[in-house]
Amino acid sequence: MHAPVRPAPGTPSPAHPPRAAGFGLVLRLALRDLRGGLRGFGVFIACLALGVMAIAAVSSASRGLSEGLGREGRRILGGDAAFSLIHREPSPAERAFLERHGIVSVIATMRAMANAGEQGAALVEIKAVDDGYPGIGALATDPQAEPGPLLAERDGQFGGIADPVLLGRLGLKTGDLISIGSARIQLRAALVSEPDKIAAGVGFGPRLIVSQAALRASGLLQPGSLVRWTARVILPDPSDATLEALIAAAGREQAEAGWEIRSRVNAAPNFQRNIERFTQFLTLVGLTALLVGGVGVANAVGRFVEAKKLDFATLKALGASGGRVVAIHLAEVMLVAAIGIAIGLGLGAAAPFALGAALRDVLPLPFEPTLAPAELAIAALYGFLTALVFAILPLGRAHDVPVSALFRDRVEPDRRRPRWIYLAIFAAALAGLVGVALAFAYDRRIALLYIGVAGGVFVLLRLVAAVLMALARRAPRLRRPALRLALANIHRPGALTPSLVLSLGLGVALLSALAFIDVSLTRQLTSALPARAPSFFFLDIPNAQSAAFDRFVAAQRPDARLERVPMMRGRIVALNGVPAEKIAAGEQMAWVLEGDRGITYAATMPEGSRLASGEWWPQDYRGEPLVSFDARGIEGLGLKLGDTLTVNVLGRTITARIASFRDIEWRSLGINFVMVFSPNTFAGAPHTNLATMTMPEAAAPAADAALMRRLAVDFPSVTAVRVRDALEAVNVVVSQLATAIRGASSLAIAASLLVLAGALAAGQRARLYDAMILKTLGATRRFVLTSYVLEYAGIGVVSALFGLVAGAAAGWGVVTKVMRIDFVFDPTGAILAATAAVVVTVMFGLAGTVQILSKAPASHLRNL
Amino acid sequence: MATGEQGPTAIELRDVDLSLGRGAARVHILRGVSLSIPEGQATGLVGPSGSGKSTLLMTMAGLERPDSGLVSVAGQDLGALDEDGLALFRGRHIGIVFQSFHLVPTMTARENVALPLELAGAPDAFARAGAELRNVGLGERMDHYPSQLSGGEQQRVAIARAVAPDPAILVADEPTGNLDETTGGSIVDLIFALRRERGATLVLVTHDLSLAAVCDRTVRLRAGRIEAAEPAVA
Repeated sequence: MHAPVRPAPGTPSPAHPPRAAGFGLVLRLALRDLRGGLRGFGVFIACLALGVMAIAAVSSASRGLSEGLGREGRRILGGDAAFSLIHREPSPAERAFLERHGIVSVIATMRAMANAGEQGAALVEIKAVDDGYPGIGALATDPQAEPGPLLAERDGQFGGIADPVLLGRLGLKTGDLISIGSARIQLRAALVSEPDKIAAGVGFGPRLIVSQAALRASGLLQPGSLVRWTARVILPDPSDATLEALIAAAGREQAEAGWEIRSRVNAAPNFQRNIERFTQFLTLVGLTALLVGGVGVANAVGRFVEAKKLDFATLKALGASGGRVVAIHLAEVMLVAAIGIAIGLGLGAAAPFALGAALRDVLPLPFEPTLAPAELAIAALYGFLTALVFAILPLGRAHDVPVSALFRDRVEPDRRRPRWIYLAIFAAALAGLVGVALAFAYDRRIALLYIGVAGGVFVLLRLVAAVLMALARRAPRLRRPALRLALANIHRPGALTPSLVLSLGLGVALLSALAFIDVSLTRQLTSALPARAPSFFFLDIPNAQSAAFDRFVAAQRPDARLERVPMMRGRIVALNGVPAEKIAAGEQMAWVLEGDRGITYAATMPEGSRLASGEWWPQDYRGEPLVSFDARGIEGLGLKLGDTLTVNVLGRTITARIASFRDIEWRSLGINFVMVFSPNTFAGAPHTNLATMTMPEAAAPAADAALMRRLAVDFPSVTAVRVRDALEAVNVVVSQLATAIRGASSLAIAASLLVLAGALAAGQRARLYDAMILKTLGATRRFVLTSYVLEYAGIGVVSALFGLVAGAAAGWGVVTKVMRIDFVFDPTGAILAATAAVVVTVMFGLAGTVQILSKAPASHLRNL
Repeated sequence: MATGEQGPTAIELRDVDLSLGRGAARVHILRGVSLSIPEGQATGLVGPSGSGKSTLLMTMAGLERPDSGLVSVAGQDLGALDEDGLALFRGRHIGIVFQSFHLVPTMTARENVALPLELAGAPDAFARAGAELRNVGLGERMDHYPSQLSGGEQQRVAIARAVAPDPAILVADEPTGNLDETTGGSIVDLIFALRRERGATLVLVTHDLSLAAVCDRTVRLRAGRIEAAEPAVA
């Protein structure tokens, strides 16, 4: 009846070498095991999906912006290359040089006051264009018309195209008249969009486009006026080689021009840098979501290993080595991870398209939603490495599951420490994760700081859990049974304490850090202001009118304190003879070498400065030119006392020796400069003045408006910047950034909630069993619930306290080290968040139990 | 190596001592057990609960390491093998039948039977698994999952899986313990028939004296020691 199936004599033994069955078998068995479904992996998949989605969405959106900038570089720049000069127009020789290479169009930009008579005056960002404007792209106006006719002079009035914000601010409509200096401008159209907006950077005032003839007629072009002249060159052959040749020739043949050169490949370097910086920040927030989710991964894998012990033992009984058992189930776990990662990638890749569609009309940016395979691959890599980091140690326990588990219920407990091979894989995966975070970081210092803090928080939370369990274990025998049971639940084998402390502690730390950052930012932008900041900045005060200006302010605001200093714009062209573009500057000071900076001269040290090293020059100093530099230049630019610094000011190249370094209090919003020269350096050079007016008490907005109106009449070339308006403009930007940060952080908080809910749900069955046994033995519902509430609240309060402290520390780090503003210790928001977290934990913990407790135990006991 | 009248020795244990647990919970389970089982013999291990029979079986299968003494199976000193070596050795030489079947729930009957062959790298694992299942009367149930099979059918699959790699030694721990009398009887018939066909050495643990009676020899354990072996073998 049973025919033997022994192989025929001479056939090879079935016992083939184990290597014959390798990765293919591992994968096959993993896939077979997955037929059992994804039960128990819900939180695992959701956690990975959430974290990967955050990273994929941020990096895809950033790529969309960068590609938009790259693709639109010519349009943004207004040409293939742009040559900017401060204070002066390109000379005929310089212009002739540029015209030899392509079509040249010049624009001039400056701040000025638009005076609308009785309707008031407002700061505007003027763009004075020539006939070649816009050159590339199109200017959209309402009504739509060519810029030439719109801006032309008619009957002594020049045309103007105004940002609708200006129209709204001064209550104007198209056809109305304003004056800019002594030029009368008729607003003939509203500005809808200008193709080259981003290259100019963020301005404090609304845009007003006029012709260069109008600008010249305004009388604002005085020696030393802060005007930026930009010549944009459109190459007949726009190849990269021609572009590079032009830039090389400009450096070679026009070295003395002192112009700042940008090409279409770096049309908006500051904007690009900000995108990268912000992308990194949001990526780190996304990584936080992923790491928090990693706790969910570890919990899920731990439960998976526990549930599959008999299957592991069976495999081992059938000849599988411990390593192969782990390999099969690692493959299975990574396949499940792939599902979560794929979901995250899908959502993350779609997010920029959704964002682009929703904000198409709002975004002033060349945002081109795009499928970014490299960024998605990095997000997937983050996901897989996180899954591996958190899964490998619990999975490694499968290696040593004894086969005797198949024969008896109770077996020897697992070995405490995972085998070295799994520790090595863990270490390698962790190193990979750190490596990826560092490799793709815009600012490695911040990435390192983040990694240190994240690692520290994880280790500390494990310690907190261990200490809490140890304390519960060593607690004296309590008289109240409910409390005794709660304590026992905190430290018993398989207690929820480690996973609850980890998820809740991380969640509260995040919430608390956000609350501290929020409150510090808000306080910085609002309450700190009146006491320290001036009310007005006045730019471009002609030197010849400075005394009259002083009298004007004294008459208008007798109680105001006026501080006035000479000001010029200049570019650093060399340090110690080394050209600026060849200097490897630190992240914090690189901006000093890029573009022009405000510079001044002074006989005495400016307020808000403290001498860090060196000496200040005597009042009547007459020697070689000296300069006092921002002390951050020591580290950021490698400067030391005695070094030389060459600047190009008004087309002149001046070399000065560093005599001192100053620690500067920038946040006072007072007047200060990175570079302050000895007065003799610029003796006789034309310049304007910069002034601040500080009031003992903030004036009413109407009084400020009246002052600006009178100023526009008496000093048409002086630009007044109301500090409150400027800060409000900054505030809007900061608020938008804060919203983005909150949005990304909410994913991390959602991940921690998921982990928390997952951990509590996993403990639910054991909890139910306990509850039924206790009820069977005579415990009331109140007793059972009280003990559970005490347990969850105990774990919750300890975790929340730690989270509060960790969050405050992280918030302090971000506020003082990254944002470089004052840290405000106002724990109200953080405490509220922590309290809410404890309440949520207790509610999650009791969910389900309350309902079950009201029923007879028998039905449940039968099912347990 | 000890030999008996019946031929070469398949399993030899000499002065095997084994304790489990730690500290106060440590229990001395096997105390100086020496036993020699010739090739092809069917041996029944009997004794009261806690006497050490399952542990003895596990020790023979290389699933438990003794604290001291020698365990030699098919001429191989198991003490010389590490954990992975033991796993591979089991895969080639020992088939195990469990009281609770321990089929992998996510695999079909055929896949369960093919599993040890796949692990051993056999290229014809599925063909041989099919043949084994037909051999135990489950030719029609090959693609059923364990949950779709009765207890008796599950145990047949487990037996087919145990014999599929053609092991020299077959060990069974209470193979009828979870089955009713009729089904248990047919399973016993199957195990003995397969063992006869293949000439394998069979060691089984049972509480069922009638099952023990059909074995060539019965070894009775009490408190970790061999109390009696009938008939006695040198």
